Amino acid sequence: MPVESAVTLLQVAIGGVLLGAVYALLACGLNLIFGVMRVINVAHGELMMLGSYTTFWLFFLLGINPLLSLLFSIPLMFLLGMGIQKFLVSRVVKAPELMSLLVTFGISMFILSLALYFWSADFRSVPYFTGSITLGSFAFSRPRVIAFGIAVVITLAVYIFLKKTKLGKAVRATSQSSEVAAICGVDVERIRLLTFGLGSALAAAAGSLLVVIYAVNPSTGQTFILKAFAIIVLGGMGSFLGAFIGALILGLAEAFTSFFFTAQLSEAVAYLLLILVLLFMPSGLLGERE
Amino acid sequence: MGEKFAQIRMSRRKFLKYAGASALLGLSGCVLPPATPAPVPKKPIRIGASLSLTGTYARTGQDQRNGYELWRKDVNERGGLLGRQVEFVFYDDESKPETGAKLYEKLITEDKVDLVLGPYSSPVTFAASTVTEKYKHPMVATGSAATNIWGRGYRYVFQVYTPDDFYMDGAVIFGAEKGAKTMAIINENTVFAKGAARGATKKAKEVGIQVVFTEEYTRGAPDFSPLLSKIKALNPDILLGGTYLPDSVLITRQAKELDVNPKMFAFSVGPALPDFYKSLSKDAEYIFGASQWEPSLKLPGVKEFVEKYKAAYNAEPGYHAAGGYGGAQILEEAVKKVGSIDLEKIRETLAAMETTTIFGKYKVNEQGLQVVKPSYMTQWQEGKREIVYPKEAATAEPRYPTPPWKERK
Repeated sequence: MPVESAVTLLQVAIGGVLLGAVYALLACGLNLIFGVMRVINVAHGELMMLGSYTTFWLFFLLGINPLLSLLFSIPLMFLLGMGIQKFLVSRVVKAPELMSLLVTFGISMFILSLALYFWSADFRSVPYFTGSITLGSFAFSRPRVIAFGIAVVITLAVYIFLKKTKLGKAVRATSQSSEVAAICGVDVERIRLLTFGLGSALAAAAGSLLVVIYAVNPSTGQTFILKAFAIIVLGGMGSFLGAFIGALILGLAEAFTSFFFTAQLSEAVAYLLLILVLLFMPSGLLGERE
Repeated sequence: MGEKFAQIRMSRRKFLKYAGASALLGLSGCVLPPATPAPVPKKPIRIGASLSLTGTYARTGQDQRNGYELWRKDVNERGGLLGRQVEFVFYDDESKPETGAKLYEKLITEDKVDLVLGPYSSPVTFAASTVTEKYKHPMVATGSAATNIWGRGYRYVFQVYTPDDFYMDGAVIFGAEKGAKTMAIINENTVFAKGAARGATKKAKEVGIQVVFTEEYTRGAPDFSPLLSKIKALNPDILLGGTYLPDSVLITRQAKELDVNPKMFAFSVGPALPDFYKSLSKDAEYIFGASQWEPSLKLPGVKEFVEKYKAAYNAEPGYHAAGGYGGAQILEEAVKKVGSIDLEKIRETLAAMETTTIFGKYKVNEQGLQVVKPSYMTQWQEGKREIVYPKEAATAEPRYPTPPWKERK
């Protein structure tokens, strides 16, 4: 293989991995909520979009560094997530899954319509970091490298929280079996509240980083939630780590499909993976075998 | 217990009967001529359209609606159309062609609007025009440049924009004059963007520029970096895009990130809009765009339109807004010429008439395709969108070649 095309291939792989990390933030939050509550949060994309807009407005109105704005968007969406859980989702957690699907779908439509009404459908972006860092013959897009770094740090922090802390263990216990967890003295309601908040905060972080890479409008959440669904099926429903790995795989798969075939086909990759996984590996890469 | 229940039901039924009867009486009262005849205001003329108020084409769709709205205000202040006030019935098609088609069906069959105006974007117009054709409703297709809408033998759809085939002519001719030899063309896989790319390919052959790369992408695609990596490897003189606003912004950003350095960037829709510079700031410099219309053009009514638009919407009008106003003006003139809402006569008039609106000249061929309106090339220079082609309308000299990203401040 000629050197030039090897360089190009690696360049494409770099792009795919960098993008995958942002997918990961979004998908990990979604999977966390699903794991603990068996609730598919359709409004997850809108929470991400709200994160994007928080960063955008802070930058646009007050000139706040988009990275610093994570300190606002994360707690803000954490609180909003807890509110949604407390007042809406908690009412249907024990109902058939279709109910929670409908409730979160309603929330999604509500947030989307409000956002369109107040912020219009304009595409917004934060042109704060532009250009790239060149290492040898490789160009590392500056906004993407930064987004990648932060996404990895946040995902890792949440992973360690889940593995090592008492509260994190309670979250995992609730995920495995809420009844047994309750018998062991875990306050399941509180854990659910915390999880929804945490999942929403991850979505907000994804949104804040995304608006630095892309242009975002109120409907952007809908594009990305579909990718996130494909990722969690690929990685294994309910598995935090699985979602991370699944996201990197999707990022790479999209980049290479676009390179070897066409950009049009890369849009279909998420769904193709979804179908293949459901057919041949229904529990995903790291999902629990049923 | 049961008896009591039955009683209640009886009385409810009775109540409904009385209520229904009195409602009918009330209604018939309305129909009867009043005792003292007062001057009854004429029924307003209702004009329907679906517009992309959300989704990918939202920005431009809203601009077009603003243009329509401004026209409605003006025409009503002048005393209305045929002495009747004008009312709009607008729906949001979410930038989806299939939704647009359904909405025109609803406008014509359920809302029974008197007239229709075109939606925004070629894909939506393509679908919607099948419906207006079916009901023989003449449609001034305001927001559509795609030539292939007019290749289907339709008789009730009329083009306002410069056709897509000619959109990028200025850029290609100018590139050739400057000695460009190779060109990469990428485009969204929808009718207008395809047309812009097809036109550019054809023109490139004529002027001796080799097209070294072509590829299409889906609407709303978020990542162009693999595509741009391929282009970088080929290093063409011109990177030309059949784009809308969001994709043109993303392609520019990602071209900078991947350090892709053609001598010229030219996009069909995007650079000609104020939002392009807002999204990219300095990175928008040097980028060429195609424009249907510019606020600096010297056409009758343009100055007043720009002032009114700024006052109403607190923004500079782009060509989509002007197109909305101009498209409505064309319909207005046709209706005035006919003197009534006779759809068949309005069709005949639209097919034959020649006029100049604030948007430029209007005249169509036997297919309904616009034949007299040119396309303008713009370029961002020091934060200003200058017209650089054709020469007779130019406000500045074009800057060429575009310096590599690394050498730009």
